[in-house]
Amino acid sequence: MLSVTPNTAVGVTAPAGVFAAGFGPVVDESRAINGTVGDITATDPRMTARNVNVYYGDKLAINNVSLDIGKNEVVALIGPSGCGKSTFLRCLNRMNDTIDICRVEGEIKLDEQNIYDRSLDVVPLRAQVGIVFQKPNPFPKSIYDNVAYGPRIHGLTSNKSELDDIVEESLLKAGLWDEVKDRLEETGTGLSGGQQQRLCIARTIAVAPEVILMDEPCSALDPIATARVEELIDELREQYTIVIVTHSMQQAARVSQRTAYFHLGELVEVGKTDDIFTNPRHRLTEDYITGRFG
Amino acid sequence: MNEMTDGHIVSSYNKDLNHLHQLVIQLKDLACKQVLDATHSLIEEDVDVAQAVIVGDRDIDALDIKADEEIIRLIAKRQPVARDLREIMTIAKIVGDLERIGDQARRLAHLTIRFYDGDANPPNHHLLDDLIKMAGFVNLMVEDSVTAFDRLDLDQALDVIRRDGVVGDDFRSALRRLSTFIMEDSRSVGHMVDVVLGLRALERIGGHAKNISRYVVFLVKGKDVRHESLEQVEAEVARRQ
Repeated sequence: MLSVTPNTAVGVTAPAGVFAAGFGPVVDESRAINGTVGDITATDPRMTARNVNVYYGDKLAINNVSLDIGKNEVVALIGPSGCGKSTFLRCLNRMNDTIDICRVEGEIKLDEQNIYDRSLDVVPLRAQVGIVFQKPNPFPKSIYDNVAYGPRIHGLTSNKSELDDIVEESLLKAGLWDEVKDRLEETGTGLSGGQQQRLCIARTIAVAPEVILMDEPCSALDPIATARVEELIDELREQYTIVIVTHSMQQAARVSQRTAYFHLGELVEVGKTDDIFTNPRHRLTEDYITGRFG
Repeated sequence: MNEMTDGHIVSSYNKDLNHLHQLVIQLKDLACKQVLDATHSLIEEDVDVAQAVIVGDRDIDALDIKADEEIIRLIAKRQPVARDLREIMTIAKIVGDLERIGDQARRLAHLTIRFYDGDANPPNHHLLDDLIKMAGFVNLMVEDSVTAFDRLDLDQALDVIRRDGVVGDDFRSALRRLSTFIMEDSRSVGHMVDVVLGLRALERIGGHAKNISRYVVFLVKGKDVRHESLEQVEAEVARRQ
């Protein structure tokens, strides 16, 4: 197992007496710069990021981040605003390409294929690695067309019947079918916020992705709609790999199997979610999740 | 500043945790006083003090319930994680042990009433020597275990855990001594049974102090050592990083 913990990260002998009283196991924050505490690897990785740096112009937004995203797992990216978690998420399907001043260094692979290879077409990549945004953004089209749009443009079906099947299956997986099956021709923007977000998830699923990225997918939803999306995430995990950015610690704890904590562009700590939320190893992680700094 | 409870952006969270922390100290003070008073009532043959201990146990029960209510409210309001969660779980367990220490003090107080509140012959004071000696020893263990919690002091917690072995040895030695009393004078069997029950109550108080110290290891290290051997706990405490 690869654990990216440079000399300065852990294992440095503490001066005698330092741990005589108080919380001993938490790593001193100064020791994690350019390093990550915890195991960055996954046993069956679907995506691997190695030594990723991201610049906005001259500004370094992500500094030397390495992380595996395991197959059929939910990885939660947490951290204060501006820590780079969304930037990192957007690297995973090259959404950052749409920002002129953004430059990505390092290596990100999807199933052994470097997604930043110059020969790679980003359109199929973004079907393989779909994304769901913070604010539900259905097209101003019918519910049916919202879901059918992706399969149509990617040429995934050859006739109307196949397309119908994909739309139904996607809406079923997104837990929305029973609520909309009798009004598929109504506009998607007429649904409630929670339904719209599940429609966007159905739209993502419709193009048969391998990985689904979610950027604060519940931040605009009420608790009931949030619970439905969280339940959906748990169900989707059986077929897809999911990376979710969230500002809700409880949501990260509820939905993910691994959690990665970002701070000032660094990946400070990564580990099993159960461990991160009960006994984090890094002082910065602990201070953040316990609400001790902003 | 309290390292455990302070530092939250939401200062009322600090206040809630501090309040809970102080409840533990308050409960410990009360429980230790009950044990001391119960012991004092035996030494001084003071039935009134014993009655006060029995009544005073209700105060401990009330604090126990108050602490539980605060814990439930805090969990519902704050959804604590990491060290905050460990602290709250630790406090919930410590409170349970302190409440049981109060119950044991009440049992000791009942001994005083049985021995001295009536026409029956009181026991020979020599029979009570071990009780009195052990009471002081275990009471100090309770004090030290809660101090270890208050200061997050693993060394002190480990020291209390080790002392529980001494309590076990003392308990067995006391039983042997009492056996010789019975052999010399079988009329004291009735008193002897009561004294053994008193010793057992004190031995349990030592056990509760040991439990509290083990919770401190969990609080600081994040490792549950409730069912680990002394050697395993020592190794865990020695593993500073």
